[in-house]
Amino acid sequence: MDVAGQDNCKRAVTICGAGFHGIFLFGFPGSGKTMIAKRISTIMPTLSYEESLETTKIYSVAGELSEEQPMIIKRPFRNPHHSISPVALIGGGIKPRPGEFSLAHYGVLFLDEFPEFSRHTLELLRQPLEDEKVTINRIGGSMCFPGKVLLVAASNPCRCGYNGDDTHKCVCSQADINRYMSRLSGPILDRIDMHVEVMPVRYKQVLEDNYKRKSSGEMRLEVMGAVTIQRERYKKEGILYNSQLTPRLMKKYCHLDKDSQDFMKQAFETLALSARSHEKVIKVARTIADLEASNNIEMYHLAEALRYRNLDKLYQKV
Amino acid sequence: MVKVNTSVDDIKTVTPLQQEYPKLLRLIPDPPPQLYYIGNLSLASNLCVAIVGARKASEYGKWVAMTLGKRLAEHDVTVVSGMAMGIDTYGHKGALEVGGKTVAVLGCGIDVCYPPSNRKLKEQIEMYGLVLSEYPPGYQPLPYTFPKRNRIISGLCHSTVIVEAGIASGSLITAERAADQGRNIYAVPGNITNIYSMGTNKLIADGAIPLIVVDDILKDIGVNVINTTAVKAKLRADELTVYKCIENESEVTVDYICSRTKKSAGTVNGIITVLEMKGVIYSSLGKIFIVK
Repeated sequence: MDVAGQDNCKRAVTICGAGFHGIFLFGFPGSGKTMIAKRISTIMPTLSYEESLETTKIYSVAGELSEEQPMIIKRPFRNPHHSISPVALIGGGIKPRPGEFSLAHYGVLFLDEFPEFSRHTLELLRQPLEDEKVTINRIGGSMCFPGKVLLVAASNPCRCGYNGDDTHKCVCSQADINRYMSRLSGPILDRIDMHVEVMPVRYKQVLEDNYKRKSSGEMRLEVMGAVTIQRERYKKEGILYNSQLTPRLMKKYCHLDKDSQDFMKQAFETLALSARSHEKVIKVARTIADLEASNNIEMYHLAEALRYRNLDKLYQKV
Repeated sequence: MVKVNTSVDDIKTVTPLQQEYPKLLRLIPDPPPQLYYIGNLSLASNLCVAIVGARKASEYGKWVAMTLGKRLAEHDVTVVSGMAMGIDTYGHKGALEVGGKTVAVLGCGIDVCYPPSNRKLKEQIEMYGLVLSEYPPGYQPLPYTFPKRNRIISGLCHSTVIVEAGIASGSLITAERAADQGRNIYAVPGNITNIYSMGTNKLIADGAIPLIVVDDILKDIGVNVINTTAVKAKLRADELTVYKCIENESEVTVDYICSRTKKSAGTVNGIITVLEMKGVIYSSLGKIFIVK
């Protein structure tokens, strides 16, 4: 990764790549959100033959294959602008064709400036994200496009971007800030597993960098290890990643001992987390444990996973 | 403007001729000839400290206001503020959270809620505290009513704390009034690069008392400080390392802790959660602060 500093982000991105967890990057302008998002697909394992075929089919239907690229072998990275229409994102039209969502199959769907997307567009994403497919019903028939995507969303804290920053003055009115934040608090954010606050790297920190940092290669190795473990474990369950665990499978594979259960209970009471976060925290903790090749989810795995729900606080406090 | 459902019967008035008129307010050069109020008027004659600051505040400022509000209220001191957005709101909230006493002084008629988003807060203060105004019911907030109102805030109080203020913030007017009235002024210092702290740092340069530790003010006004237990003794070795790292810098990011302690981001994040659960630190918007 050409990203200097940002240990916290790199760690989060490693987890998100390993367990296919959706991630929400929150931070001031220029902190590196976009740069990080664009590099997530580089630390993920290459497409398997089956995955590659499936993705190629979607591109074929959409007419996006060319002579130079007759088959999709790289993980897709789709980065639609926030002015995108709902149909272009989800798929549809008079002659239905897959949207950006399906074109990001097995890859990254990056929604930069997340709150700037129209509310309608974002709401439409909810169902497909859960079902991992889009069903389009038209008079001519109904069709279904798959879409197993890694959702990466990024946002500033407010419209001008500097609410809460100590070096710039925020020029938004309180009403503007509330409106902006209310876009985030919706049910969509609840469907994203991890939140990360991206902080700008200070110039001094980059210069005085004698501390050994992780390279993309190392991160990818870690991810591969965790992915292999998951493939093996979920062989007979029809899923690939921890993020796809259903409540039934979670009972089977995400056992918490008594101490950990008490810890979770206490954490939810003291840290003002939303109830919906509970499942997500456990899934992310499962991935963290897999990154260490640990069979059990330990308390410190949960503790780390809890950090990635830090934005819940913003909505519970006021 | 939004009118709160306050029935006319709840609104009472008091004049300087009456015994119940707030004690310290009587002493200022221009006490309001009539005060409208809802709630328990005796709170205003109690030992009062004002917590004021800018409407637009940093997470740090909000945290200071909240903690200060809590800490003062825990010691039975009345927290006075202006119910504006930002610092004021958090000062009131801190006091209410521990079931303490708080007084809101409005810059509009007492039945008008400004800002409208604080309607719930206003209802709570009316119920558990006191809402005051020198303007008759129905009076709309105007640009000049707020600076005028500020003399009442500082006038009610023994000391005034300015938590955060930009260079042209209205809270600097409160500080000026407090100085005219001969009351103590505290300012919470901030980084010199922080635009939200320029006003408060300037106040310190001009002679305001810097508030270095929250409990300082309690000692100065002669309240016996309730001791918080030695938190540090309860921390594990690695937790203590991270805690100390945060303590040294007062406000840090996860990346900073990683490079200082040479621990991986995963480990640091785990420790931060545990420390936050123990209530010794607080993290928001990517920054981590010491709480105790």
